[in-house]
Amino acid sequence: MTIFTCAPGWEAMLTCIYEASESKLGYKNIRLLLEPLGQQSFLDEYIHVEPDEVKAEKVATSIIRGISFQFYQELAYTAMAYEEDVLDNIYHVLLLGFKFGENALKMVQYRDIIRNREIRARVVREAERFREILRFHQLGNLYVAHFEPKSRVASYLGPIFQDRMPSENFMIVDDVHREAVVHRKNEPYYMWQINDREFARLAQTEEENDEYTDLWKAFFDSIAIKERANEKCQMSHFPLWARKHAVEFTIDERG
Amino acid sequence: MYDLSANDSLKEKLTILSDAAKYDVACTSSGVSRGGKEGYLGNSVAAGVCHAFSADGRCISLLKILMTNHCIYDCKYCKNRVSNDVERALFTPEEICTLTIEFYKRNYIEGLFLSSGVYRNPDYTMEKICETLRLLRTKYKFNGYIHVKAIPGASEELLYSAGLLADRISINMELPTEQSLSKLAPNKTMKNIIEPMNRISGTIAGHRVAIGKSARMERCGINKHLVNSIFGPEAGRIEGSSNQPFLYPAERNDALLRRPFAPAGQSTQMIIGASNETDLELIRTTQALYQSFDLKRVFYSAYIPINDDDILPGKDTPVPLLREHRLYQADWLLRYYGFGAEEILTKDNPFLDYRVDPKCSWALNHLDIFPVEINRAPVEMLLRVPGIGPTSVKRIISARRYGNVNFEMLKRMHVVLKRAQYFITCNGKMLNHTPIEQRFIMGQLTDLEHREVYQIEDSLNTGRQMSLFSDYNLEMA
Repeated sequence: MTIFTCAPGWEAMLTCIYEASESKLGYKNIRLLLEPLGQQSFLDEYIHVEPDEVKAEKVATSIIRGISFQFYQELAYTAMAYEEDVLDNIYHVLLLGFKFGENALKMVQYRDIIRNREIRARVVREAERFREILRFHQLGNLYVAHFEPKSRVASYLGPIFQDRMPSENFMIVDDVHREAVVHRKNEPYYMWQINDREFARLAQTEEENDEYTDLWKAFFDSIAIKERANEKCQMSHFPLWARKHAVEFTIDERG
Repeated sequence: MYDLSANDSLKEKLTILSDAAKYDVACTSSGVSRGGKEGYLGNSVAAGVCHAFSADGRCISLLKILMTNHCIYDCKYCKNRVSNDVERALFTPEEICTLTIEFYKRNYIEGLFLSSGVYRNPDYTMEKICETLRLLRTKYKFNGYIHVKAIPGASEELLYSAGLLADRISINMELPTEQSLSKLAPNKTMKNIIEPMNRISGTIAGHRVAIGKSARMERCGINKHLVNSIFGPEAGRIEGSSNQPFLYPAERNDALLRRPFAPAGQSTQMIIGASNETDLELIRTTQALYQSFDLKRVFYSAYIPINDDDILPGKDTPVPLLREHRLYQADWLLRYYGFGAEEILTKDNPFLDYRVDPKCSWALNHLDIFPVEINRAPVEMLLRVPGIGPTSVKRIISARRYGNVNFEMLKRMHVVLKRAQYFITCNGKMLNHTPIEQRFIMGQLTDLEHREVYQIEDSLNTGRQMSLFSDYNLEMA
C-alpha cells in the first residue's frame, strides 16, 4: 500500500488529495495520513507531500464546481478535527461526492459517510462546548480567553463571539495549536498565529483575577440547591477536562 | 478601603438574592434568535446556551436573581414568605445592570433572569423591575436575553412594558387548582394568574401577526408531520374568559424601543408534591396551558421542604425528583411526540408509572400495534416507538430514500436499540426472537431503567431493601 502524508493544514491536505489521485494507483491501494505519523510499517511506501498553492486551488475549484460550495464547506469543517483518519475520510467522501453529487453526504448506507458525520459532529460539539465554557479575563479594556481544544476550533468561535460582543476588544487564544482570534472594537476579527514570545506574554493574563470573578464564584456556589446535590450529573455535563480554564472551579490561591 | 466594603456588600447581596432565587426552575435562554448590533452588547441564540453547571447538576444560563427578597405575601411553600426570619436584601437597578453586563462580557452568562418578592405592593415591584430593564436596554445597551417574572396583581401597563423590554415573560402558576392555591398561597388567586397570562398570550399573538408571523409560537418542526399533535390545526385555540386579550402601552417611550413583545414567548412553573394533585391533573393542565395560552414551556419544580407547616409535607419528606423527571418526560411527549394528555394517563390510572418512562408505558399498553416496520412506517408511528426520538426519525426517513434500513444502520444512527428492539422489525425481521408480550418486555425494560431510577432515588438517601415481589413484578406469578 502507498501512503501519502502531509502536515496538518487545509492547503497541505488538498495538495495531498491532488497527489493521491494523480498517482492513479486506485483508491483501494492508497491511504492518506496526517503527520506526525505513529508507528510506520515496512511493507508500505510512504510519500511526503509538501503544500502547493496551485494544486490545492485546483482541488478546491473542482469540488466547488463539480459538487457544490456547501459540500466544500462541510469538508472544511471535517478538516478541523484531530482524528487520525480525517484526511483518509475526506478523500473517500470526496470520491463519493464526485459519484453521487451533493446528496452523498446524506447516504448513511456508506461507512465513510457515517464516519464523516461522526467527525463533523465531534468538531461542532467541541466548538459549541467552548462557546459555553470559554471564560474571559479583563485586562483594561481588553478581554482575553484561553482554551485547549483537541480540534482546531478557534476559527469556528471567531464569528460566534464577534456577533456576541461586536463592540468589545477581545482575544480567544488556542494554547494547543498556538492560534488566536483577535477582535478589535467594531471591526471584523482575524486569525493570528502566535509566536513563543507572544505566547509567554499571553500566558500571564489568566493570573489576573478581578472582583467580578469573585462575585461569579459566590453566585455559582449560592445558586445550587443543597437538597438536590448531584455530583454525577454535574460531572457529566461539565467534565473535568472542561474545567481547566473555568474560573468557578479554580481554587483561589490568595485565600 | 471604602470601595472594598462596598464590593463586599454587593457580594453579600448577590449571595442572598441568588440563594433566594434558586428555587425558580426556569433558566433557559432559548426561544429567540437575534444577531448582535454594533454599539450594543450581546445576541441571542434560539437553542439557548448553558454556560455552567452548578453542584446540583442544573445548568446556569442566566444570572438568576431576585430584585429583592422582601415580600408582603405569605405563601406557605416559599422561603421568602413574610413570616420567615431570613436575611433580606434589595438590589438597586444599577447594581443589577453592572452585574449583568460584567458577567456577560466574561462569558459567564447568557442574560438576566429577574424575579422579585412583592415589595410594598405588586405595582411598585413591577415598576422597579421595569425601571431596571429599561436602564439595561437603553443606558447599558444590553442586547442579550432577558427573562422577567411578572408579579401577579401588577397593572397591565406595566406588564406591557416588561414584555417589550424582555425576551420571555412568565407568571408562576405554582399550583394547578384554585383549591390548593387558596390553601397554600392565600394572597394569590387563580384569576390573578390566569388573566394576565391570557392577556400576555393575546398580546404576543398580536405582535407576531403585526410583523407577518403566524399568531402561534413556532414549535419543533416534527409537529408539522403529526396529525394528532396538540399544536396541530385541529387542536385550535381555546379562548380565555377575558373579551379583550390585548395590552396597551403605558408610555410611548417603550414603544419607541421598537422591540417585539416577548419574542421568546411566556412560560410558567408548577410545584410538584406540595399539594395532592395527581399526575393526570398536572399533565392536563399543562396541555391546556399549551393550547389555550400558547405557552412555550411549562416547568415543574419538585417541592423541597424548607418550611415547617401543618398543611405542608414534613421536613424529612424526600424531594420527589423521580416524579419530576417522569413529568418532564411526559411534557416532552406532548411537545415533541404528538401525544395527548389523555393518551399518557387515564382517570383510572392517574399517576405515571415510576418504573419505566411514560413512552414505554404507553407502548406496553398498546402492544397490538407493534411491531412497527422501520422501512415503511409513517412518521407519527415511528415516533411512538420507545428508543426512537425526533432526531432518529429524521435520520431514518432520510436514509430510507436511498435504500433499505437494517439494524446495523439503526445502531449507527444512535437509535436506542436496547429499548426499541422489542417494538420494531427491519425488513420483516426482529433483532432477536423476543415475544411481544407485556410482562416479558416490562421485565426487560425495568431492568434497563433500574439504574436510572436508583440514581435519582439514591441522591435522596432513601435506601431500602429491594423486594423480589414488588420490584420484579412477581405478585401475579
